[in-house]
Amino acid sequence: MSEAHEILEVSGLSVDYVLDRGDVRAVDDVSFTLNRGEFLGIVGESGCGKSTLLFAVAQLLAPPAQVAAGSVRFEGTNLVGLTDKQLSAIRWRDMSVVMQSAMNALNPVKSIGAQFKDAMKAHGKPSKEEIQARSAEVLRMVGIDPVHLKSYPHQLSGGMRQRSMIAMAMLFTPDLIIMDEPTSALDVVAQRSLMVQIKELQLSYGFAVIFVTHDMSLISHFSDRLMVMYAGQVDEFGATRTVFDRPLHPYTQGLLEAFPSIRGPKVPLKGIPGSPPDLARLPSGCRFHPRCPHAIDKCGQLTPELAELDAALVRCLRRQDGSLPLEAGQEGSLSR
Amino acid sequence: MSELLRAEHLTRHFKIGGALSRRTLHAVDDVNFTIGEREIVALAGESGSGKSTTARVLARIYAPTSGEIYFEGKPVSALRSRSDRLRYSGLVPMVFQDPFGSMNPVFRVQHGVLRSLKLHRPELSGQQRQEEAARVFDVVGLGADMLERFPFELSGGQRQRVGFAQALAMRPQLILADEPVSMLDVSIRIGLLNLMAELRDTMGVSVLYITHDIASARYVADRLIVMYAGQIAETGPIEEVLASPRHPYTQLLVSAVPDPRAPLSVAAGTDRGEPPKVIDPSPGCRFRWRCPLAIDTCAQVTPMLTELQPDHQAACHVAQAQPAGAEPVQAFS
Repeated sequence: MSEAHEILEVSGLSVDYVLDRGDVRAVDDVSFTLNRGEFLGIVGESGCGKSTLLFAVAQLLAPPAQVAAGSVRFEGTNLVGLTDKQLSAIRWRDMSVVMQSAMNALNPVKSIGAQFKDAMKAHGKPSKEEIQARSAEVLRMVGIDPVHLKSYPHQLSGGMRQRSMIAMAMLFTPDLIIMDEPTSALDVVAQRSLMVQIKELQLSYGFAVIFVTHDMSLISHFSDRLMVMYAGQVDEFGATRTVFDRPLHPYTQGLLEAFPSIRGPKVPLKGIPGSPPDLARLPSGCRFHPRCPHAIDKCGQLTPELAELDAALVRCLRRQDGSLPLEAGQEGSLSR
Repeated sequence: MSELLRAEHLTRHFKIGGALSRRTLHAVDDVNFTIGEREIVALAGESGSGKSTTARVLARIYAPTSGEIYFEGKPVSALRSRSDRLRYSGLVPMVFQDPFGSMNPVFRVQHGVLRSLKLHRPELSGQQRQEEAARVFDVVGLGADMLERFPFELSGGQRQRVGFAQALAMRPQLILADEPVSMLDVSIRIGLLNLMAELRDTMGVSVLYITHDIASARYVADRLIVMYAGQIAETGPIEEVLASPRHPYTQLLVSAVPDPRAPLSVAAGTDRGEPPKVIDPSPGCRFRWRCPLAIDTCAQVTPMLTELQPDHQAACHVAQAQPAGAEPVQAFS
C-alpha cells in the first residue's frame, strides 16, 4: 500500500500514570501504522496496557495518565497536545470509539434517539428531519428496527445495546472506529453475530478498525494484522494469519493455547501460569521471562528489542538468536 | 454412576407488569434432568435461556412454581427445619458469575469462608476454622497468605478461586457454578476449568457448570444440557452431542464457537435472532422463529424431549422425524 492510504501513524508512544509513589509506564514505546479500511487486532491479558493504548490514540486519557513521549498522527495531524476544542472537531466525525460496556456507556435515562441527537448536534446544526433520517439509517445498518430510537437502554438486550453503540459510532461515517472489547459482555452467539456484522459494515463503508480483546480466537477471522501486547510493550506484530499459523513469541503461543477447542482430540491445557507483572515493579530482562516455559538465564539479564523475524516483529531473545528454533515450541500451535 | 440430584418437571414462573397484570414470564418450564455423583454437567444456553434461574431454584434462592427437586432421593421441598435446610445449602453451594460483585469489599477474603464455616460446621473451634480455611485455600491453589488480603488486592481469577474455596469449606457434594469464568481473561479461564475437573477427580464433587461457551463445556464436562427459552432442547453425553448435535439450536451454539482452525463459516453469521422472552407462551417450538428447518408442526405442537440415541435426547420435530441412523440435518454448520 502506498503512503497515501495511511490514516494513522503512532510512533514511539509511551503513556505514564503519574502517581505519588512514582510514575508507572503503562504503554512503552509503541509504534504502528494503520491504513485506510484496515482491521487491526490488539490482544493481551488484562493489565497489559491495551486499553491505555487505545485511550492514548483517541486522546481520551485522563489524569493521572498522560502521554510521556511519542506522537499520534491521524490524517496528518498530531493529536498529542491538541486542546479539547481542537479534538472535538475530529472526534465522532473522523474517529469514534465504542466502549467495552454499552451498559455503562449509554445514558440510562435518555432514549437511544435522544443520545444520537446529542452526538449529531455537537457537530453542526442538523435539522430535525436530518437527525431523524440519519439516526434511523444507522440503526438499520446494524440490523435494529428504527422504532427502537424511542427505546431506553434497559429495554434492549445486551447485543442490541452494543450494536446501537456501533450505530452511534457510525453517525458521521468516520474513517476510524476504535473498539475496546465491545463483545466481551455478550454470549457466544451474540458475539459471533456482532463480529460478522462489524466486518460486513467495515467492508461496505471502508472505515478502519482497531479492535482490542483478550480472546485471540475471536478475531482470528476478522483482523488483517495482529498486535500482541504484554506489560505495556508490543511482543509480536504481524499479519493475523502468520501470527496464528506460526506464533513466535512464547506469550503468543500461550494465549493461543489458552482456549479449548470444540473439535479434535481433547488435550489438557495449562493456560499461562501466573499473571502479568505489576507495571511498577517490572522484572529484569525480558518482561515475560518469569512466566515463560522457554526462559534461560540470559532472558532475566538482557532486555529484548522488537525486531523483524520471518515476516513478523517479535520481542524474544531466544527466537532472535536462534536458540529457540522456529520448529520448537510450536507443538501446540495451530499449524498442525 | 449413582444419582445425586434429580429435577422433575421443574418450573419457575415470574409475574411481570403491575399489580393487576396477569402476565407471567416462563423462565423455566417443565425441566427434567439428573446430576450424578462425581459428574460435571454443563448447562448451556444464551443469556435469557433460563440457565441461571434453574441454578437458583436448585440453590433454593427461588422456590419452584411447580415440580420437585430430589436430593439423595429425598424431596427438597420436604426440608422444613432450619438445620435440614442449612445442611442442604451446605451440600449444594453456589459460585457466582461476578467475582467483583460477590465479595464484600470491606472484609478480608477469609471473612466469607470463616462465616460459612461457623454457620455450617458449628462443631469447629475458632482455631480449627482458621486451619480449615487455610486448607480449602490450598486446595484451590491460593496461598495461606491470601486469607488476610482484601478483595481489591486480588485479581479476577484469584477472587473466583476464593468463591470455590468458600463453597468447598462446607464439604459440598454439588457445586452450582453460574458462569464462573465468563468474566475472566481467556488465559486464566483454563486454570479454573482445571480446578473444577480436579475437584471432581480428587474429592468426588459434582459440578453444575453453567456457561454459554460450548468449547469450555466440552473441556470439563461429562454431560451437556442445552436450554433454550426455559426448556431443555437437547441433552446427552457431551462428546456425543457435540459430535452430532441433533437440535438446530445446539448446532447454532456449536457453530458460534470461534475456531481459528476452521475457515469462516457464513451461515454462522446469518443468525441475527435472540432468544424470546417467554411470556404466556402458546404451544409450539420456541426456537421456530430462528430455525431454518421449521415445518408447520413446529408452530402448533410443542416438541417433547425424546430419546434419539441411547441417552441422547432432543426436543425437535425435524430430528425426531428422521429415520434412526440417518445423518442429522444441519441447520447451521
